[in-house]
Amino acid sequence: MNPSDFNSHDEFTRRRFMSNAARLYLGVHLFPMFGNSVASAAPTSVGASASSQAKYVIYLYMNGGMSHLDTFDPKPKKKDVMGPLEAIPTKADGIFVGQHLPKTAAIMDKVTVINSMNSTQGAHEQGSYIMHTSYPLRGTIKHPALGAWVLKLGDRLNKDIPGFVAIDTSADQSGGGFFGAKYSAAPIGNASEGLQDSKRPGEVPKEDFDRRLSLADKLNEKFHNKYPNADVKAYEDLYREAIRLMNSKDLKAFDLSQETQATRDLYGTGRFAQGCMLARRLIEHDVRFVEVQLGGWDTHFDNFTAIQGRCKEFDQAYAALITDLEKRGKLKETLVVVATEFGRSPTINVEHKNGRDHHPNAFSCLLAGGGVKGGYKHGESDASGNKVKDKLVSVQDFNATIAQALGLPLNTVEMSPSSRPFKIADKGVPVMEVFA
Amino acid sequence: MRPSPAWAVAGLCLLVTLPLSSAQGVKAPKDDPAFIKKAALTIDQNVATWYRRQKLEVPAVTDDATFLRRSFLVAIGRIPTAEESRAFLEISDPGKRLQLIDYLLASPGYSSHLSNWTFDLLRLADGKIGSTANNEPYRNWVRNAVADNMPWDQFVHKLISSEGDGWDPESAAVGYYTRDRGMPLDNLANSMRIFLGSRMECSQCHDDPFEGPDRHDFYELAAFTHGQGSVRQDLMKPLWDEMVKGDGLRSPEYGMAQVLWDRVYGMSLSGGGAGRIELPADYQYRDGKPGEMVGAKTPFGKGVRMSEKKDEGNGRAQLADWFVSKTGTQFAGNIANRLWKRVMGKAVYEPADIYVAAAKTNYPELMTYLEQLMVELQYDQKAFQKVLLSTRTYQFATNPDTSVVEGGDDFHGRKIARLSSEQIWDSLITLAGGDPDKKQRRTLDDRIYVGGKPVLVGKKTMPQLSKEVLALKSEGEVRAYFAKFVADIKSGGGGGGGDSMMMNSVKTYNKDAQVRASELPSPAPRDHLLYLFGQSDREVVDASSREPNVGQVLSLMNGFVQRQLVNNPNAHLYKSLEGASTDPEKIRRLYIAILSRPPSEEEMGWMLDEVKASKQNGYRNIVSSLVMSSEFLFLQ
Repeated sequence: MNPSDFNSHDEFTRRRFMSNAARLYLGVHLFPMFGNSVASAAPTSVGASASSQAKYVIYLYMNGGMSHLDTFDPKPKKKDVMGPLEAIPTKADGIFVGQHLPKTAAIMDKVTVINSMNSTQGAHEQGSYIMHTSYPLRGTIKHPALGAWVLKLGDRLNKDIPGFVAIDTSADQSGGGFFGAKYSAAPIGNASEGLQDSKRPGEVPKEDFDRRLSLADKLNEKFHNKYPNADVKAYEDLYREAIRLMNSKDLKAFDLSQETQATRDLYGTGRFAQGCMLARRLIEHDVRFVEVQLGGWDTHFDNFTAIQGRCKEFDQAYAALITDLEKRGKLKETLVVVATEFGRSPTINVEHKNGRDHHPNAFSCLLAGGGVKGGYKHGESDASGNKVKDKLVSVQDFNATIAQALGLPLNTVEMSPSSRPFKIADKGVPVMEVFA
Repeated sequence: MRPSPAWAVAGLCLLVTLPLSSAQGVKAPKDDPAFIKKAALTIDQNVATWYRRQKLEVPAVTDDATFLRRSFLVAIGRIPTAEESRAFLEISDPGKRLQLIDYLLASPGYSSHLSNWTFDLLRLADGKIGSTANNEPYRNWVRNAVADNMPWDQFVHKLISSEGDGWDPESAAVGYYTRDRGMPLDNLANSMRIFLGSRMECSQCHDDPFEGPDRHDFYELAAFTHGQGSVRQDLMKPLWDEMVKGDGLRSPEYGMAQVLWDRVYGMSLSGGGAGRIELPADYQYRDGKPGEMVGAKTPFGKGVRMSEKKDEGNGRAQLADWFVSKTGTQFAGNIANRLWKRVMGKAVYEPADIYVAAAKTNYPELMTYLEQLMVELQYDQKAFQKVLLSTRTYQFATNPDTSVVEGGDDFHGRKIARLSSEQIWDSLITLAGGDPDKKQRRTLDDRIYVGGKPVLVGKKTMPQLSKEVLALKSEGEVRAYFAKFVADIKSGGGGGGGDSMMMNSVKTYNKDAQVRASELPSPAPRDHLLYLFGQSDREVVDASSREPNVGQVLSLMNGFVQRQLVNNPNAHLYKSLEGASTDPEKIRRLYIAILSRPPSEEEMGWMLDEVKASKQNGYRNIVSSLVMSSEFLFLQ
């Protein structure tokens, strides 16, 4: 697919981004006294550019804090850090992964590993929150999740089905925040069942169904007039959206039963695998942002047993996703992200049956497809994986890189209802080196 | 005026709780209706004073129908049944609102609803990924404590200080710590947050750049709870190591060893709190060195210290004492504000997780009084909520506008809010199956499971097993016990059976089962309606969500609501149509059953047209539209 070959709707939004970006970019240069760290650190190509090839994001979130040491930043020379775990070579020169990731090792030539992630938040709630929103958790405001930002700035590509879908994900990590419900994810609890209840119950005739809706609509309009509240309004709008969805020919995007046995075998049978397979189907139907979560990474206790189990869930599914996307020619325009809230401590806690504690100082995330390099390692942690040694990437930088891959404007300010300004990646600067 | 037999017919018996003060001696304030009444009045006076000062008009009191629905949802987490609504709406006794509150607080629904709230606060999930250990006896302990209305200070004290056998009802509160096995620091930070409104998560790793707690303070606090382990699990270590080596993992004995290792030892808690702790290897400040031993010290309040010289073994009990009785008004203020939020919709100060001293809130007199009241009521949560539910402030009409005061309630009428996931579920099952509180509560599944199948049923329970195993004194005794355990199971103690009790196991769960959210798996599986509507995953504190999404709407249009309610002729709500002969009467009854109010004239017109056009199907269409309406989903 040619990068300029977008449908007309996307063409419009794309042009808008370019002009926004150009204005902001020029603005920085016309007023050098305002030159801040963002302007000086940002490479010249910020804005829609050759680096912006992705249309879709599949965001795989490792909930609980994935140990970087036992997965993508092993330290083979440090026995005290690695414990019983060994590192294995991968298809990419100079990149090693933990021993429980053999299938992933075979596709690392298509992946960028960032080993210099750093977060300011060391607790799960705060850590997941900042990863998903770019902002620290506050008691007074709900920030939109990344998927909501993508819809806000980039809009949907397929108006009939949700633009943001969250599979096996907590509702409080996939919300529209102050953008409102229109931007929050459609939740899927169980990928194998697809989007639950998306068909009219067989025993209800179409005519009755329509009558019910029109009655409910009348009631809702009255209630909304009485209470002009955003959430009340949201339900009114969601009914319209739900109907459009039910009538859409793209509803089959949610139906995993249409996958061939060969594809199923490729992904495997795990719950996370089903999520990855569904994510691929969804982006094929122009869903822009799909999050899939894999939990259980909070390995304070008995880290090495737990890691083995988690890697088993992850390995085949992830490798299959990358392989499958590439085979279908979709990898170029799909950014596949592997993210987590923090890594795990190099110190092995013997008291807790060889556990590892939270470690936001240095950890690893992955990017693949969507115009990023393959077989590339960005940044480095120190000899024991304790601190970032080179090319620190903050959470905001990471999210800015995702936005950059999509060609979304980093400097567009959206105001919250309390009139405070927010941006998709706060003050993050995209890591341009990851783009091919 | 209608006679009151309507109440009796519905079996509500509201009058039983009328005061009998003359017959009794002096009552504790929590049991004294006169005290409760006076306390409610004092709150209203404080609120009225605030209105006068702000030169605002005092809001009107809401109508009966709104009061009825609000009170059911707030106090017991579900809408009233049609019978309950009719009974309340059709009598005109001036005391009926207070009587309704008494009725609700005496209902089993009260503890069901409060359990959901408590589970969210404690992050109480049933299971743990990657382990066969679980939190079921702990969950059961919490559920019972809520049902027995255990005073909040006792409840918290037990959570913080319990030690020993996870299956013994006396010490099952150890689940509070074993739930967080391996992460005692996070557990402690959460305790500070939920019981005191003190945020210390950040100081686990670094000093607060502003004026908050230092990392040193945090470690001094952590010293109280340091040294948690499992009761004598080391005695089984050699045996366990043999089991997990090589082919051992595939042997049937492995599953049996897991019962002892994970579900007995793994769910026990040893170590009463050392009272001292080493500073971590990455300690970065000048006031201490990595590896240096520090003694326990509380960060504020009436100071408690312990020595760094020796392991005292009672640090958690000392910390528990400090929480409940040496933190000034903070312990009382935190729970008072949280319960205020639960009843009134918004807290006096928000976020409720960050304690604000009464004098610094927008309502100093009120907050001071609430702190004092909590103590006077001896931390009786039910009595405290009864006071709040008895106020005029609680009865204020719904205000469509957003709060004019930042960071808390503006007392300008109740804010409209979407129901919680649990309130929606519990209301839907009320429509589908009638009063769910008449059903039996889920009981603890105390059977011994090996490979997912119960064994030794009728011969031994988990509490018995746990007690015996934890009493073993040597490696030899453990080996001998295990050998006998294996032999007993192999000699035919296995096999299912004994599964007659309703809902006694999460393993018998089905997603349409019409039981209260509090009795379902925690959290409910992700194909459940509870997940769609934002139930907390119970991994982090208060993680529930009330955000709308398209999945919720699909579920209302095509899911449980249609299957179990609209298209199910046996659904309870259709029973309310019995004996109604005219169309207007039927429509009126459906309105009462679903929205707890009669229809307006305009609505009656729409619905009569619907019945005319669709005949019998018209009633189903009406039911469907009422449940799909926003009015059903929002608390006014």
